[in-house]
Amino acid sequence: MKFSLARPALACAVLATLAACGGGGKATFPINVTVAGLQYPGLVLSTNGQDLAVNPPAKAGDDVTATFPNEIEYGQTYEVVPKGAVVTNHVAVGGSQPKHQQCSATPFPAYGTAGQLAKISIRFACAIQTYPLGGKVVGLTGTGLVLANGSTTGTISVPPALDANQKPTGADVTLTMNQVPYNTTYGVTVLTQPTGQTCTVAGGANGTGGGTMDDAAEAATPQGVSNLVVTCK
Amino acid sequence: MKSSILRAGVVALACALGLSACGGGSGDLYLTGAVYNVTKDGLVLTNNGEDLAVTTPYTSFQFSNRISTDDQFDIKVKSVPSNVASVDDCKVNNGKARANYYTIAQINVTCTIRKRALTASINNLTGSGLVLINGSDKQTVPAGTKTWPMAPVNEDGAYGVTVLTQPTGQTCTVSGGSSGNGAGIMGAVETTTVTVTCA
Repeated sequence: MKFSLARPALACAVLATLAACGGGGKATFPINVTVAGLQYPGLVLSTNGQDLAVNPPAKAGDDVTATFPNEIEYGQTYEVVPKGAVVTNHVAVGGSQPKHQQCSATPFPAYGTAGQLAKISIRFACAIQTYPLGGKVVGLTGTGLVLANGSTTGTISVPPALDANQKPTGADVTLTMNQVPYNTTYGVTVLTQPTGQTCTVAGGANGTGGGTMDDAAEAATPQGVSNLVVTCK
Repeated sequence: MKSSILRAGVVALACALGLSACGGGSGDLYLTGAVYNVTKDGLVLTNNGEDLAVTTPYTSFQFSNRISTDDQFDIKVKSVPSNVASVDDCKVNNGKARANYYTIAQINVTCTIRKRALTASINNLTGSGLVLINGSDKQTVPAGTKTWPMAPVNEDGAYGVTVLTQPTGQTCTVSGGSSGNGAGIMGAVETTTVTVTCA
């Protein structure tokens, strides 16, 4: 009895769905976007000849939801990318990103065909840009030098340059610390001195291995901080 | 009619399960997962009586016993590294389920390392504008300050306090810490003090 009622009801629902697709012109689909982690202005998303500027949320940390101005028709394809991005195999590079941030579609792809899913909801997540922090180590002959950027992002061991006979030459060694996010301070210190030597840190924005990854560092060529000098004697 | 369909379905399902179970051992699925925030030996996981110590580089685990589709697994934390306060500070996410290709790909263990206080003891600060940093931790220290708490640091983690900005009219230097220059490795004692001397 129960089934005999359920079946016509189901048939009815199927008919209603079909009618929605076929009758009275094609169904249209809004392109909804949710952006997480947005902190700075400048993000413009684009698809199907439409642009959508996405601004940071009123309350820091909230998701931003927005919808493209025009709906697209059933069967139309879409691919939401930062405006002007170069797209290769659905991977968008560059385009109109927010200042100091990088946004990408995650965890689902930002392309498809309208009607594939009941709703089009695109999700982007934005992360603060990080920039290199580095320079050189001068005069290092001992082993065991370990540098740290305070308690942030681990420690860096620096071995001396060696000649063909595995003897230290004291030649300059390139120093690459872990990258530092925009608007974050860095302060490089010697955590462990090398055997038989004492090293001091100079350079950075304040001359003693410290500074802030600020607009100047972001605008530098190459980007980031590359003037650290660790001198070992 | 109905029962013959059902029977065919059951047989097909059994075939599928039978095929997926081939591969030797007790099953064909390795119970694995990611491990976050573990820096030293001591984390032991357990699943249905099998213990597994997580070893260097402490980023993943894999139980030796393979399991079969639909086996129940239930991963628990048996013991934690010394820099984690209690077994409750290592959480197993998605650690209990029946095994299939989806459920065994969703497991991770995330620990929270115990934090220790890092304090700067400050001598003779008369100028204003001193900014101390420990990496990304930035602290503006007013004139006349004697001690200043920096953000707590992971036990066994590195720290290195430096002067970002000198106060007006003075130059401050940092000493102390286990490396002697304001840097070091945070020990298991409750507080570590570095010394900032201004002249």
